[in-house]
Amino acid sequence: MSGTIQDTSVEAIRTWLVGRIAFYLQRSAEEIDADAPLVEIGLDSVYAMTLSGDVEERFDLEVEPTMAWDHPTVNALAGYLHGLLGSRG
Amino acid sequence: MRYPAFALAEHLDHGLGDPRDPARPASFARCVALDSREEFPAEICAELDRLGLPRFYVPAEYGGELRSYEELLHAVRILARRDLTVAIGHGKTYLGAVSAWVGATPEQARRVGAEVLAGSVISLALTEREHGSDLLAGEVSAVPTGDGYRVDGEKWLINNASRGDLVCVLARTEPAGGTRGFSLLLVDKRRLAPGTFRCLPKERTHGVRGADISGIAFTGAEVPAEALLGATGAGPEIVLKSVQLTRTMCAAMSLGLADQALRLVLDFATGHRLYDRPLVDLPHANRTLTEAYVDLLIGEATSVLTARGIHATPGELSVTSAVAKYLVPTMMDRTIPRLGQVLGARALLTEDHADGLFQKIERDHRIVGIFDGNTLVNLNTLVNQFPGLVRGYRRGVVDPGLVDTVELARPLPDFDRSRLALLSRTGCSVVQHLPAAVAEVLELVDAGIAPPALAVQAETLAGLVDGLHERMAAYRPQPRQVPAEAFGMAGEYALAFAAAACLHLWLRNRHWLSDGPTAPLWADARWLRACLHRLIGQLRPATATGSGSDDGEDYDRLLPDLRAQHHEGRLFSLLPARLAEAGAQHSESPSRLAEPAPQASESPARSAGTAAQLSEVAR
Amino acid sequence: MTVDTAPVPGTAPALGSEPDLEAYLGDPHDPANPVGYPAVLAADERGELLAEGERALDGYGLNAEFVPRALGGRFDRADRLAQVLRAVFRRDTTLGVGYGVTTFIAATPVWTSGTAEQRRWMADLLLRHGKASAGYNELAHGTDFGRAALQARLDGDHFVVTGRKEMVGNLSRADAVTLFARTDDRLGSRSHSHLLLDMAALPAAHRRHLRRYHTAGVRGVLLGGLEFTDCPVPADAVVGDLGSAMETVLRAFQVTRGVLPGMAVGIVDTQLRTVLRFALDRRLYGMPVAELPHARATLVDGFLDLLISDCLATVVARALHVLPEQTSVYSAAVKYLVPKLLQEAAHRLSVVLGARSYLRDGPYAIFQKNLRDLLAATLTHASAAVCQATIIPQLPRLAQQGWRSSPPPPPALFRLADPLPPLDFAGLGLSARGMDSLTATLREYLAGPGNDPAVARLCGLFTAELDRLAEVCAELPPRDRTVIAGRRSFDLTDRYATVLAAAACLGVWWHNQDDPFLRDTPWLLAALSRLAGRLGLDPGAAPDGLERHLFIELLERHEENRGFDLVNRHLAG
Ligand SMILES: Cc1cc2nc3c(=O)[nH]c(=O)nc-3n(C[C@H](O)[C@H](O)[C@H](O)COP(=O)(O)OP(=O)(O)OC[C@H]3O[C@@H](n4cnc5c(N)ncnc54)[C@H](O)[C@@H]3O)c2cc1C
Ligand SMILES: Cc1cc2nc3c(=O)[nH]c(=O)nc-3n(C[C@H](O)[C@H](O)[C@H](O)COP(=O)(O)OP(=O)(O)OC[C@H]3O[C@@H](n4cnc5c(N)ncnc54)[C@H](O)[C@@H]3O)c2cc1C
Repeated sequence: MSGTIQDTSVEAIRTWLVGRIAFYLQRSAEEIDADAPLVEIGLDSVYAMTLSGDVEERFDLEVEPTMAWDHPTVNALAGYLHGLLGSRG
Repeated sequence: MRYPAFALAEHLDHGLGDPRDPARPASFARCVALDSREEFPAEICAELDRLGLPRFYVPAEYGGELRSYEELLHAVRILARRDLTVAIGHGKTYLGAVSAWVGATPEQARRVGAEVLAGSVISLALTEREHGSDLLAGEVSAVPTGDGYRVDGEKWLINNASRGDLVCVLARTEPAGGTRGFSLLLVDKRRLAPGTFRCLPKERTHGVRGADISGIAFTGAEVPAEALLGATGAGPEIVLKSVQLTRTMCAAMSLGLADQALRLVLDFATGHRLYDRPLVDLPHANRTLTEAYVDLLIGEATSVLTARGIHATPGELSVTSAVAKYLVPTMMDRTIPRLGQVLGARALLTEDHADGLFQKIERDHRIVGIFDGNTLVNLNTLVNQFPGLVRGYRRGVVDPGLVDTVELARPLPDFDRSRLALLSRTGCSVVQHLPAAVAEVLELVDAGIAPPALAVQAETLAGLVDGLHERMAAYRPQPRQVPAEAFGMAGEYALAFAAAACLHLWLRNRHWLSDGPTAPLWADARWLRACLHRLIGQLRPATATGSGSDDGEDYDRLLPDLRAQHHEGRLFSLLPARLAEAGAQHSESPSRLAEPAPQASESPARSAGTAAQLSEVAR
Repeated sequence: MTVDTAPVPGTAPALGSEPDLEAYLGDPHDPANPVGYPAVLAADERGELLAEGERALDGYGLNAEFVPRALGGRFDRADRLAQVLRAVFRRDTTLGVGYGVTTFIAATPVWTSGTAEQRRWMADLLLRHGKASAGYNELAHGTDFGRAALQARLDGDHFVVTGRKEMVGNLSRADAVTLFARTDDRLGSRSHSHLLLDMAALPAAHRRHLRRYHTAGVRGVLLGGLEFTDCPVPADAVVGDLGSAMETVLRAFQVTRGVLPGMAVGIVDTQLRTVLRFALDRRLYGMPVAELPHARATLVDGFLDLLISDCLATVVARALHVLPEQTSVYSAAVKYLVPKLLQEAAHRLSVVLGARSYLRDGPYAIFQKNLRDLLAATLTHASAAVCQATIIPQLPRLAQQGWRSSPPPPPALFRLADPLPPLDFAGLGLSARGMDSLTATLREYLAGPGNDPAVARLCGLFTAELDRLAEVCAELPPRDRTVIAGRRSFDLTDRYATVLAAAACLGVWWHNQDDPFLRDTPWLLAALSRLAGRLGLDPGAAPDGLERHLFIELLERHEENRGFDLVNRHLAG
């Protein structure tokens, strides 16, 4: 993972997020429901914070560690990140 | 397939009944309550008398039924598993009498035997206020009076000194003391003139709070000549031989307590949920459980071989009993608190969770490493024998009795006290036969009979034990100022013994134990690999990060076995033993125990409610 | 509430002064001292908090130690707080937990997220010796806070609270309760809020006290439970935003977890003193036990364990002020490692004390009490596994960045006499974002000119270890980064925490060259060697006479009645 910015479309962010979450949970990407609360699919509060680290590295973007608490599904997160990245231009 | 040495233990356990049934006198609930009231478990001890336990303290030749120390080992284990206060409160009579089995004339021994069979309580008084491990510093004196002795002085911290009918006292018979200056007197308190002795108040202790830990002070107490056990001046020698038997039994106490601790934590880990799954499914937690299980198996292998050695290789007991008394309590002193970490705050509760039993086990267990020869005394015994152990290892000396020691299906010869020795002339055959066992393992691996991983472990072990003996050889014995490193090496030697014991046990018993309830443990050398993994890990300094690619799968493979023994109400053991918790002895139907443990995370309301119910029933 | 006059030798300190609690509590061995060991042991036997002890601490104004200076209290430094409470733990852990820690844990979320009024209210309550309870625990959920069930439903201008809290200190006599409540049915990390309850104002009909939980350690601590049924609570009781409790906890607990281990050092300080007393008095084979090499080595090792523990505890407490963005990792590491080191040291000491460690009477009776209490203090507030689980998810990022390239910390982190900036509770970082300045000290020292070769060699062992840790942690398999992490991850946190301890020892030695003891190199060499040994790294042969040197230091401190910790100050009696 490097800081280089890739595709920042909602779709691309979502795919990437699903990949990370599938990685942590050792499931296949197809099993991750993008509308399910992360806690319900097994990513508890402290662990959800790791996602913010991944985001910071992937997109070279500083986010709150609690980002996934406030945007607790993949789709919500993808939308949120897309907004941030878009506004950055 | 049966393992007959468990018969006595099963008889006692089933005789006392399901300990989870609070209505039983020997229930966990009652034992915890007695402990908190600091009350002696008299009713349970009386029950053990009724179940005939005293007969098993007396060797058959002196009128009792003690034929197998292996059997006694498991009996002590099963009692300690229920309640250590009971085990030592009752078992103390064996300790009080053992000097007679080891050092008295046969006629005297039969007399002592008759006392035990009649239910007399006998205690052993070595320790004094100012003198513990240093037996030859004792100040209690016995001065010959013509027709007996006059005893003066105080013995203190003595189990059952107040309740006891007789006290076996180590007393100074030569004012100058020395190794031939002390003798053993079996003092019959019932026959002492009033005013010549006084029992000291019960000490308040950290654990075993109900036990009668007190003392006795003599002031001109006249005892008859026949109170002398063995020859004048033979006291230290008899004591040092006797403790070879009793220290082996102490290891059993640790096994029993740790077994119960593991059961309690497994109960909790199965029912309690965290992060949406049972605690037992969190890998870190279940690893702690399998490690404790492995510790128990290692402790069992060590203790069983030591106990069988009492019959088969008694000349080596000075080494093996020190190993067992050091290793097993020390290991469990670490294992039990680690289990407590999984139990979390509940480990502290004295009433609310599982009868408040865990905290009691944790407190009780700490005494096992202290009494009857503490950790350092036992390690020192090993240090003193380094030269002989190194010699024996280099020459590959193996006592012919080793075969009987390690093959559990073989009948044991009768115990022969004349073969006990203060120092082993043959070193320690279990360790000295390790290279041969390693070679045999390698052949089995080559032949495709044993898993290849075992070969690596066996060779690693052989290398470590070789290296240890080299370091032991370089040690120059020092009489008192024993350096800390020497104690370290003695500790490693004990681990080496345990590893060798595991190897021999597996090699010599894997055929007949390949069926029956514990068969899965034996398949694929599963238990052996985990035990060796653990022992090698302790023998070898911790390895640097990243060097071991292995994730401890050896432990994970044991989880199903552990859980099966738990569900089926069996002892955590290499061998099949059914506990009273499993229900009536002869109904083989696993009944309710086959059901999974309660799945719902316990609500405090329920536990409090249950506790209330329990105490109601108890009343 | 009136202030009782303390029945202890000392005079009550004025606010704003630097009172000496140790002297105030008087000689622990004096049977006439109402807060001496005999009284403490007797209270423990009765399962009571020592009433005279509570009065004495009221008289001293201990609660003021928990109240920030800005609010009229004495709290301005976390390391100092640990030292003050250490005097209590040295005397009676039960009081330390049952009077001190419980209140501190309850107040900290209010300092972290409360409104000005709430903070004022809590400060006033504490300054008048009121009691606050930290209402978190539900037995069924334990540390899995996200599943805590006690519910507070907002209904117009008030909450309606239903549910129970269990095994909570002082609940039965609390004036205030900081209650962790579910305010949203959904699973998630925004579903809980803190409510600050004024117990006097709550309608009694809607709450019921559960009976007391009795424990084998800290037997006098009043652990209780409380059941609420449709209990109305004013809406303005909420601390911080609705749904913010989880975040507040992650900050506030950095302070409490970061400070508690430094207090617990006091327990083992007493254990060591007790066993040393025994070893000097007891004769065996014609000599004092202290002259047996094994016993002596055990005593010296115990001393080192105390110094190491105090170094890490003190540095982490100071980090709360100096490196607040990094302490999410450090506070978990110290709460994990220090109790473990202390526990192991106490166990080894118990082997030397032998039968006396098993007796509840006699001159060494305090030892068995402390064994039980230490275990309880270890399990309180966050178990080892929970602390380790806090570090685990941060490991990969630390490995990728922090362990290689973090800037070294400011010397103030280590300079024990240096003032500290005020602790900004709300500024504590929820994650260290891969930063670790503490271990950077090791590299900084190695890179510096004129370093001591023996020190540098040992430091090199730890930087090499850190490099290996970085390799492994960067490649940690996914599940080993989560709640179902295997033993491997937990072991990594143990090794990492050990490296942190080494860095703390180094820094304390390096930056306190004006302290007559700390500037001495032997203790550092011995401490680093001991930590290296813990990791299975070969520290090389110890310099000749090292153990003797430390044993003499230990004896001197004992004879002059000074503590065995970094503070090294005179004790009472
Ligand atoms: C003296 C004392 C005072 C207390 N005072 C208070 C108080 O004032 N207020 C209050 O709210 N509570 C208080 N408590 C309760 C305390 O906070 C709880 O003990 C704590 O919440 C931990 O819960 P638990 O031990 O019940 O176990 P749980 O959290 O249920 O955990 C059970 C076990 O799981 C283990 N575990 C957790 N996570 C993992 C993982 N990822 N992998 C493997 N294992 C894991 C834990 O180590 C533990 O052993 C007090 C407790 C004590 C002993
Ligand atoms: C509950 C309980 C029940 C007991 N029951 C009995 C009983 O029934 N009968 C009986 O006679 N006694 C009994 N004892 C006493 C007990 O067996 C002795 O106290 C113990 O074995 C002797 O050790 P000590 O702890 O008194 O220490 P000491 O012998 O005084 O030794 C002090 C310390 O010196 C160290 N030390 C000792 N030897 C060495 C060595 N060789 N090398 C290096 N260091 C060493 C150890 O660290 C030890 O702890 C009982 C004690 C208790 C607590």
